[in-house]
Amino acid sequence: MRNLSSLKKEFLRKWIKGLRKYNSQKKNMNLLERKKAIKLSADLAMASTKDKTTLWRKALFANTSTKIDDEQDMSTTSSTPQKKVIRKNSTNSYPLRKRITGRRKILRRNHTKERVEASFIAMRLVKKRTRKLKSLLPGGKFMDDSCLVDETLDYIESLKAQVEVMRCLVTSSELFINQP
Amino acid sequence: MEQTTLESIQFNEEIQGIMAPASETANSFTALLELPPTQVVELLHSPEITGKPPKPYPLTCDTGNLTFPSNTTARFSVLAGENKNSPEVKDEVPETEGGGCVSDPTIENKKSKGAKRKEREKKVKVSSKKIKSIGDENSGNGGDELPYVHVRVRRGQATDSHSLAERARREKINARMKLLQELVPGCNKISGTALVLDKIINHVQSLQHEVEILSMKLAAVNPIIDSNLESILATEGLSLMDSNFPATVAPVVWPETPHNGNRQQFQLPWQSDAFHQPLWGRGENNPNFMTPENSLLSYDSSANSVSLHSNQMKMEQ
Repeated sequence: MRNLSSLKKEFLRKWIKGLRKYNSQKKNMNLLERKKAIKLSADLAMASTKDKTTLWRKALFANTSTKIDDEQDMSTTSSTPQKKVIRKNSTNSYPLRKRITGRRKILRRNHTKERVEASFIAMRLVKKRTRKLKSLLPGGKFMDDSCLVDETLDYIESLKAQVEVMRCLVTSSELFINQP
Repeated sequence: MEQTTLESIQFNEEIQGIMAPASETANSFTALLELPPTQVVELLHSPEITGKPPKPYPLTCDTGNLTFPSNTTARFSVLAGENKNSPEVKDEVPETEGGGCVSDPTIENKKSKGAKRKEREKKVKVSSKKIKSIGDENSGNGGDELPYVHVRVRRGQATDSHSLAERARREKINARMKLLQELVPGCNKISGTALVLDKIINHVQSLQHEVEILSMKLAAVNPIIDSNLESILATEGLSLMDSNFPATVAPVVWPETPHNGNRQQFQLPWQSDAFHQPLWGRGENNPNFMTPENSLLSYDSSANSVSLHSNQMKMEQ
């Protein structure tokens, strides 16, 4: 599998970069703002770690770019490097599947007869869960089944690395506070 | 021995290569089955059958030799061996050519169909990817045997392109799901896609929540993020002025290596108070200031970091 430590290193580096940039803008952020900033920079750092262009990374960039456009209070200078990346990514057309969710809802209303065989029940359960998973994953709406599984693999791995690095940072800083 | 294995191959009707012997074997085999039971029993019981084996058998032996990959032949030898050893099979299964040809298939046919099917399916699963092979192996139903179809098909499954593509896609998805199962802890024992997906969803959700909670904690702990970062960067030997990080961080720095020797190196420079002064001299008394060794050595698992920090605190005193 991939080298987890190198992943963590890269993530940390980029995260620190982002955090510094955030910090240079606003000196007095309240708790929530700080938390948002931290999380955002962590997510972006995570998303940009590898050369792999998986869907969820691009979707993450796209989502943040829209957020940034919407919320004017977010500092722009920190996001410019990411914004450039976002713009580049958005010009590459990543597969936007046609929105079948609406159509599916209509279909279900007319679909009165539901089959009771075990295979159909199992299929329904699986479909429910894949839908849930798609909602969890950034950019999951546009993925088909095989793509989805790949993306979750990648996403889980990077989330794990992210969590570990953050946890270590937290514990170390907490320890330092307790014993200065 | 070899003859018997090849006969078992022939019995599975997965003969490739020359079509004529394949059809012949099928015919001959069904002919054998149509024999009145007494005759079959005779064949079974006879220790030596010196009579000529039916025509196609030697041919099938040859073709079986040519086309099957070695592992499948091995498997079939095992299969034949197993069937020989099974109590159902007569002990007097002759090993002579003729007897072997005739008796083994019939025995297998009569007594151990279930095991055989499993073996066959196992074998097919082993090579269930599309393999370029001459001839089709649509076994069982005697379906259309088109020449030069490149897919190995299981017994009783359709061979049209749609279902094949679907099956290939499904297998691909299943392979990836297996990988996922290994990644997510606690998924190995569960069979069934829905439950596994359940676990995966829970895992992803919990990881996302963790990220949220940790970022909240970090925000609470550090009123000013900047200073900590500088300390971290200093310990990692990177200049604060550089916005571009060097591509390689010194591998010694990263505490993945569990050697205590490395850690000793970095503890020494940081023990003097003199080092702390320039950092403190920034004009802000930051209680949240992270000591370099803490930052350095905390990137292990948190459990390790706790023990390390306690050690370091002692050393500093």
